[in-house]
Amino acid sequence: MSILLYSVLTLGALGLIYGLGLAFASKKFHVEIDPKIEDINEILPSANCGACGYPGCAAYAEAVVEKGAEINLCAPGGDDVIKNIAEIMGMEATTADRKVAIIHCQSGGKDNTNFKYNYQGIETCKAAILVSGGPNACNYGCVYQYDCVRACKFDAMHIDDNGMIIVNNDNCTGCGACAIACPRDLIEMVSIKKRVHILCASHDKGAVSRKACGNNTACIACTLCVKKCPVDAITMDNNLAIIDYDKCIVCGMCADVCPTAAIFDPLKEVRAQKKAAAKAKAEAIKKRLEEQKANENKEEK
Amino acid sequence: MEFVGKILFMAVMAIFVQNFVLMRFLGLCPYIGVSKKLDSALGMGMAVIFVMTMASTFTWLIHTYLLVPLHIEFLQTIAFILTIASLVQLVEMVIQKTAPALYKSLGVFLPLITTNCAVLGVAILNIQSEYNFILAILNGLFAGIGFTLVLILMAGIRERLERAELPVSMKGMPISMIVAGSMALAFLGFSGLKF
Amino acid sequence: MTLFKEFTKGFIKENPVFVMALGLCPTLAVTSSVVNAIGMGLAATFVLVFSNIFISLIKNLIPSKIRIPAYIVVIASFVTIVDMMMHAYLPAIHKSLGLFIPLIVVNCIILGRAEAFASKNNVLRSVVDGLGMGFGFTLALVVIGGIREVLGAGQFLGINVLPESYQPMLVAILAPGAFIVMGLLMGLMNLKKKK
Repeated sequence: MSILLYSVLTLGALGLIYGLGLAFASKKFHVEIDPKIEDINEILPSANCGACGYPGCAAYAEAVVEKGAEINLCAPGGDDVIKNIAEIMGMEATTADRKVAIIHCQSGGKDNTNFKYNYQGIETCKAAILVSGGPNACNYGCVYQYDCVRACKFDAMHIDDNGMIIVNNDNCTGCGACAIACPRDLIEMVSIKKRVHILCASHDKGAVSRKACGNNTACIACTLCVKKCPVDAITMDNNLAIIDYDKCIVCGMCADVCPTAAIFDPLKEVRAQKKAAAKAKAEAIKKRLEEQKANENKEEK
Repeated sequence: MEFVGKILFMAVMAIFVQNFVLMRFLGLCPYIGVSKKLDSALGMGMAVIFVMTMASTFTWLIHTYLLVPLHIEFLQTIAFILTIASLVQLVEMVIQKTAPALYKSLGVFLPLITTNCAVLGVAILNIQSEYNFILAILNGLFAGIGFTLVLILMAGIRERLERAELPVSMKGMPISMIVAGSMALAFLGFSGLKF
Repeated sequence: MTLFKEFTKGFIKENPVFVMALGLCPTLAVTSSVVNAIGMGLAATFVLVFSNIFISLIKNLIPSKIRIPAYIVVIASFVTIVDMMMHAYLPAIHKSLGLFIPLIVVNCIILGRAEAFASKNNVLRSVVDGLGMGFGFTLALVVIGGIREVLGAGQFLGINVLPESYQPMLVAILAPGAFIVMGLLMGLMNLKKKK
């Protein structure tokens, strides 16, 4: 009987002492965390991707509250997060310019690219480019070991049937992990509104780069785009045309004149159709007016 | 001098010959879970050494001065686990307040270690081997060091494994298990150690 | 989910050892023979079922902040009961399982099911879930134990199943064999999952 008593008393006493001890300790060792930091930390996406420039969501939350960091730095969070942070901090919301990843190379995928040799080694781009300047004929292009696809935490990069890397703009949060992963710096984070891009990174002379490119879409530095651009947004940098996205007004005229289709405008055909339709319509109206005028002349006579 | 010899012997036994992870199968869950990167492995190892030593101390005291005199040794499991859980919680709170830098590096792992079979295992083993107070604390310390050693080795190997070409079904857990098996084979070689 | 499905999901689909990789420590430690495996499996099932019942009964009475320590106390109590029962009625198995009976307390399976299932479902479903998971655990243990015992001693449940000329692979019973067999089996499960 005494054993029963002792057991119950001992366990009860232990439980009580520990419970009281912990309750006391949690008061005495209470660390003052500004509740705003915890609130902000909760609405952040917790992906810890580092796009904001801080080591993790918790660090960004702390920076916003204690060091006054900009509230529009969270790319994956988007406008919703910015609005919520603004509410918590009692500020006005500023919108973020959503950025997506653009790969400045369209050599046609693993199957279509010209390769100098068959690379068999550690399957990472960083290693592949160390061997004789890279396995592909173009010394500046994508080597298709897919470091960028593996770096993406938001499932925004896929490999299609030809081995081409496709960026899914809906999933892309603009965090920049792929850009950091690419050892040839082929990926740039550009505002989603700018849809016209030069998909070539080759600084080789025109003939050399065109021959090397498996897709025949290399920039040959013909400067037609530079001359055509109405706002002088394109400059020629050592045999490669570069668009200054701050100046670009997304008119797409450079894409129309590029002889090798190195400049890509997804709406090129749509624009061409609209232009043709408008032209046809204008011609039709002109014809009708002329007929009308001819009829009037006839009646006068 | 004999005492030092005994401690050395115990150290070699706990770290190599009867390694807690590879020979006694204790602490496998965190071993597999945290050994992916070298930095987190180091932090986890430090936390485990700390908790194991403290747990050995307090559980020995509770057993000797509370359970035995009242003849309620059968409450060992419950009393020990309660003590370990509360201790870890307390330590986490103290570290968070007094050494925030230390908390950032190993504080995250402390809750994970509470229900780690290695900690409860070493506490019970101390009692079963009938160690005195000093030996119990030292055993806890050496067990933790053995765990950390194997954890760091495993983390180094796993970082390299990321780059290896493996059949898809073997990636991740299966190959880690087989690597652990190879390490266990190596440590088996220590069993011939004699002083 | 129908009650029958609750019961059978623990066998293959959500097998705690192979699919969820929980409870690795006892799995590798006690599977050196099939008898030990069955003993451990049944002990764990007992604890799992009864703690599920108890926790499901008192789930509304425990405040959320202290639920984990409360679950641990309940589980520890049942483990103590099982320990004492095995010590009395099955002393041989109790001796060979040794340290790992009290370590059922920190078996992630039991705490995991208590947290994930028993705290949210009624008593009947908790019992069925506990039985299913427990049998799945036992099944996994028996499979691994069978492989290790046959390879390492040419026996199954103490009966010779391989011809006299078979030279047993001792390493299968020792620690490294456990890891390697586990790794290969997990690889096989992954292969099955892919298909």
